[in-house]
Amino acid sequence: MFTRRDGPIGLLATDAPALAAACHAMARRFHRGGRLLAFGTGCSAADAAHVVVEFVHPVIIGKRALPALSLPGGSTGFRAELGLFGEPEDIALGIAPDGGDAALADGLAAARDRGLLTVALLGGEGGLVASLGGLDHVIAVRSDDTRIVREGQVTVYHVLWELVHVFLDAPEVLA
Amino acid sequence: MSIESLYPFLHSGSADLDSLLADVARSTAEKVDEIGRLRREVVAADDARMAACATAMAERFERGGRLMAFGNGGSSTDAAAVAALCVDPGPAWRPLPALALAADVATLTALANDVGFENVFARPVAAAGRPDDIALALSTSGGSANVLRGLAVAHERGLLTVGLAGYSGGSMAEAAARGEIDYLFVMPSASVHRIQEAQTTTYHVLWELVQRALGRP
Repeated sequence: MFTRRDGPIGLLATDAPALAAACHAMARRFHRGGRLLAFGTGCSAADAAHVVVEFVHPVIIGKRALPALSLPGGSTGFRAELGLFGEPEDIALGIAPDGGDAALADGLAAARDRGLLTVALLGGEGGLVASLGGLDHVIAVRSDDTRIVREGQVTVYHVLWELVHVFLDAPEVLA
Repeated sequence: MSIESLYPFLHSGSADLDSLLADVARSTAEKVDEIGRLRREVVAADDARMAACATAMAERFERGGRLMAFGNGGSSTDAAAVAALCVDPGPAWRPLPALALAADVATLTALANDVGFENVFARPVAAAGRPDDIALALSTSGGSANVLRGLAVAHERGLLTVGLAGYSGGSMAEAAARGEIDYLFVMPSASVHRIQEAQTTTYHVLWELVQRALGRP
């Protein structure tokens, strides 16, 4: 059961340049005063909360706290919540263990239309969110097992947090 | 490995974007390798005990038991994810009763404010835990006082106790030696991030083994 993980999660290494580009763009938003707004449903709501605590309360001593919120995901939906909370300099991070559902796609579309930096962490290939178009960074773990996707995504968002700080430590690349 | 050795251009005093992007792409690939190695280490050390643990968990679920999951910070989100996976696993699988204790924010904040944070998990386990239930505790350090108390109370009440820890297991390893944790799985790493990633795989595999023991899919 463990060896099933090696292929899809190992493939993340080939996505390293795309991850690096996403982190550079996120660091530029934080540098401009933007905040991270993370969202997802089900297990991905837990992942959104996890990303937020990484940024707000870093596990590595000496790394500064960065502003991040997880959206409540109430009955009004992510689109309405992004309308209430989102500013154009912010970052919208939408998470799903598959291609994403209508609520996630709608939230990311609203963020894109407001000028937020849009980052989607997905699973498998294609799907509603991937077909939206115009998103800034889409990173997918290539498995149709949603649990394996989640495991890859935990590594992805840990790396995202670390690399954002690497870029923030190099202000000459943030202009 | 030091930050300086991971990102030499950053600390040369004149980072240029292309060099930095190349650095971070390389360090990302190294982290992906590292988590792959850690997963293989965990399964090599613990696959038989995982199967035994899942069998014991399945027996509890068959008797009407419920799972109570708890942890702090990122581990509280793992507890939430376990509960969400159990309750809403998708059509091929059997839904199982599971709760993340930190989800009850009124209870959590009331206990933290009035009694002390070290009691936030022990009290709900004492109040609602039944002998057929399962306590699943997650900690990266293995040393969280409230997690340890939650496990101790769960054990007193006859719950099956399962722990996930990192490093060398910390105080959770001592609790396991005292018999307070029936099944403890330690992710042998000194990186909080890699520990959490390996724990995510571990609880997913436990869940899948439980489903198989219950005849699914």
